[in-house]
Amino acid sequence: MIATVALLCATSLPAQTLRPDQTQFRSLYKELVETNTTLSAGSCTDAAAKMAVRLKAAGFTDADIKLFSVPDHPKEGGLVAVLSGTDPKAEAILLLAHIDVVEANRADWSRDPFTLIEEDGWFYARGASDDKAQAAIFTDTLIRLKSGGTKLRRPLKLALTCGEETGGAFNGAEWLVKNHKDWIDAQFALNEGSVGIRDKDGKKVSLGMQAGEKVYQDFRFEAVNPGGHSSRPRPDNAIYELAAALVRLGQYEFPVQFSDTTRAYFTETAKLTGGATGAAMTALLANPNDAAANAIVSKDPTFHSMLRTTCVATRIDGGHANNALAQRAGANVNCRMFPGDSVEKVRAQLVAAVNNPAISVAPSGEISPTPPPPPLTPLVYGNAKTVAAKYFPGVPILPAMSTGATDGRYLNAGGIPTYGVPGRFSDPDGNGVHGLNERKSVEGLYTERDYLSDLIQVYANSK
Amino acid sequence: MKAIWTAALLTALATGVQAQPQASPIRPDQASFRELYKELVETNTTLSSGSCTDAAAKLGARLKAAGFSDADLTYYASSEKPKEGGLVAVLHGSAPKAKPMLLLAHIDVVEAKRADWTRDPFTLIEEGGYFYARGVADDKAQAAIWTDALIRYKTSGYKPARTIKLALTCGEETTYAFNGAQWLAQNRPELIAAEFALNEGGGGMLDASGRPVLLAMQVGEKDVQNYWLEVTNPGGHSSRPVPENAIYRLAAAVTKVGNYEFPVTFTPTTRAFFGGMSKIVGGETGAAMTALLANPTDAAANALVSKDPSFHSMLRTTCVATLLDAGHANNALPQRARANINCRIIPGETKASVLAELTRVIGDPKVSITPETTTRPVAIEPPLNPAIVGPAKTLAAKYFPGVPMLPVMSTGATDAIFLTGIPTYGVPGVFGDMDGNGAHGLNERIRVKSIYEGRDYLYDLVKLYAGGK
Repeated sequence: MIATVALLCATSLPAQTLRPDQTQFRSLYKELVETNTTLSAGSCTDAAAKMAVRLKAAGFTDADIKLFSVPDHPKEGGLVAVLSGTDPKAEAILLLAHIDVVEANRADWSRDPFTLIEEDGWFYARGASDDKAQAAIFTDTLIRLKSGGTKLRRPLKLALTCGEETGGAFNGAEWLVKNHKDWIDAQFALNEGSVGIRDKDGKKVSLGMQAGEKVYQDFRFEAVNPGGHSSRPRPDNAIYELAAALVRLGQYEFPVQFSDTTRAYFTETAKLTGGATGAAMTALLANPNDAAANAIVSKDPTFHSMLRTTCVATRIDGGHANNALAQRAGANVNCRMFPGDSVEKVRAQLVAAVNNPAISVAPSGEISPTPPPPPLTPLVYGNAKTVAAKYFPGVPILPAMSTGATDGRYLNAGGIPTYGVPGRFSDPDGNGVHGLNERKSVEGLYTERDYLSDLIQVYANSK
Repeated sequence: MKAIWTAALLTALATGVQAQPQASPIRPDQASFRELYKELVETNTTLSSGSCTDAAAKLGARLKAAGFSDADLTYYASSEKPKEGGLVAVLHGSAPKAKPMLLLAHIDVVEAKRADWTRDPFTLIEEGGYFYARGVADDKAQAAIWTDALIRYKTSGYKPARTIKLALTCGEETTYAFNGAQWLAQNRPELIAAEFALNEGGGGMLDASGRPVLLAMQVGEKDVQNYWLEVTNPGGHSSRPVPENAIYRLAAAVTKVGNYEFPVTFTPTTRAFFGGMSKIVGGETGAAMTALLANPTDAAANALVSKDPSFHSMLRTTCVATLLDAGHANNALPQRARANINCRIIPGETKASVLAELTRVIGDPKVSITPETTTRPVAIEPPLNPAIVGPAKTLAAKYFPGVPMLPVMSTGATDAIFLTGIPTYGVPGVFGDMDGNGAHGLNERIRVKSIYEGRDYLYDLVKLYAGGK
């Protein structure tokens, strides 16, 4: 997952006294977080099995739960669970969450990334936010509805999947859409991807509802050279050519553009923000070429990403021995393409930025589809707002385009409109998502859970 | 053989038509030599699938058959690396006060893949006036010539004044495996103690028509030191790039290293080399060499001479980025970015002075620069000793009349660096071709005539150094 905004760190909160249902939830969340689900060393299949055990203990039958994995990827499995509705004609609602996490190196972290540590109002662990918070909330909601005997009009489906964080490995959401769409078919799906903002003082500024997302595309930059012995350097050098290209890429900015979603987002955010930044947003909406306004708004890395395509070097490799001149040097350049932009258009922009024909620039990996953004209907958007007024009084909901990619792209492409549900807030520093010392606000998690539990029931009982 | 001075002439000399010498009948002593050379070349001594220990045993058997006693033959190997052994043989001198001399050659070879070669790399094939096989040039020619010389000294009854020691070693071609020369220096220094040593690294150069152009005596080599540049960053999600980025910061540092030139610095060896070379190449480049010798800061002369990468490397310390590594996932901002900078330090400069210069050039405290730990001693340039250079030149006038001899500094590293306290010289005598003879590469070859001529020259040269009758 991705989103977030910029403004800073939260204050320390006293540890809360938990309700019994919160204690139960915390135990589920802890079990899920402490089950390593990295591609390199973990197992989503194990994590899914543990969630299935809890679902069965709550009363789900074997027929209600489908554990799945494919033979080539035995550790990258997942589960689908169904809570039946009372109206046989009512369309289902799908709750989607991924249970895999980004790699985490113990040596680089301050704490063990696979132990849930609660400290000063924060949960610390890999996946504490992305996306095991949501996976735990959805699973816990089904457990509570089942064990409480709550009757809902529509069926609720839960899909816990693996592979959201790994390009090229097995993707559970994609596999379900292609192989068992019947298991997950729904009128719409709730997913990660929303952009809620908490300011530097810990104040909740806005809730987000994700509708549409940027398109993920990796590109490979590469320079080649005949090489030779390193004791006899030659003027042309693959590593230096690549390094110069990367320096240029680092200095390049894609032009500002708006979609309907981001136009709505910045229009609302301008009012919320006010001051010089708010005025700059208004100016930029009127004239995307306003350089001064752009400079002010783009100071914030999240705004910066929402205003344009971004491409950033994420990996480099070069050379084959320390005493040989490099025959090849390459970089992975990870792009988040603005919806509507083609791969070829972005490639041409990169080629122009690098301005060196010796550097090859080519799309790599999977070419992602670019489905239209899901519509902001009263059913989905209106109810989210109404329920939010109870849990987050005075905090507006902003429709948003996600700057990162979620599994929503597969569901949207498969005809299931998918929304990033509100409830999650991010702090100005991004909360270490995909990075070091990932953390989630304890209070934020419990409130998000209460909100989503209510909202899901409202959706499930809706006409 | 890691000396690369030969390539310098590629751009300096005119091309011609390659001569195809006819095979001529060989003398009986050459036939014996050829048999020894063939056996050595056909014994695979790659690290992956060969055995230096086997090769050493085969040469030891020949030495023993020639009259060397068991006491004069020392086989050695580390217990952890049983296939990477070697041999030291001693031919005792008659003058008790004369200090010994050491003949050094490595018997290991670079890997060779049959599928990539035109011929079997471990069968000695003579074709069109050339020997083909892995190691025919690097360094089994030298190893065979030294061993054959000792055999002939013994059987002919020659009594040298100095003791002549021969060390055949493994591991010259491999960086992290067992190195026989280093092991001997550290564990059996008395066995190889000598006033001076003769090694690979020199030779001679033929032009494209097969005409000898120059003889080279290697006197000194550059030091090798790797430095790791590293930048760390908290990272984050790649959908939300931030201005501070480990890869971009590293790329900027690497770019600065790439744009930097260390100043021109002459050593006694390179001063003599460029003095001689200026006459050989003549013309504009020769004049530029002369100008540069007079004034090392002459930018125009520097630009001309440094056009040739080998001359460029001999004129200065060089540092070049050879490895890049950063990032842990395609969709995450890099938390760590690293580059290896491989430096070849000219004698007189130090690992510390180069570190200080890299630090100044990069000028970014957020880029850490860490020298890689090394067990290699500091390279010290041996003196241009007339007692060494003189006889080599005198004898060359007989065998190779009219061919000039230049001292060369190797820009690469040989085992000489491990022989601390023993000035080590790369001997002239065996001429190579301008293309490097496929050493370390495909279809390694050496001219048959070069081997036999070089063998005759070196047989006499060692006797000149050793004295006696």
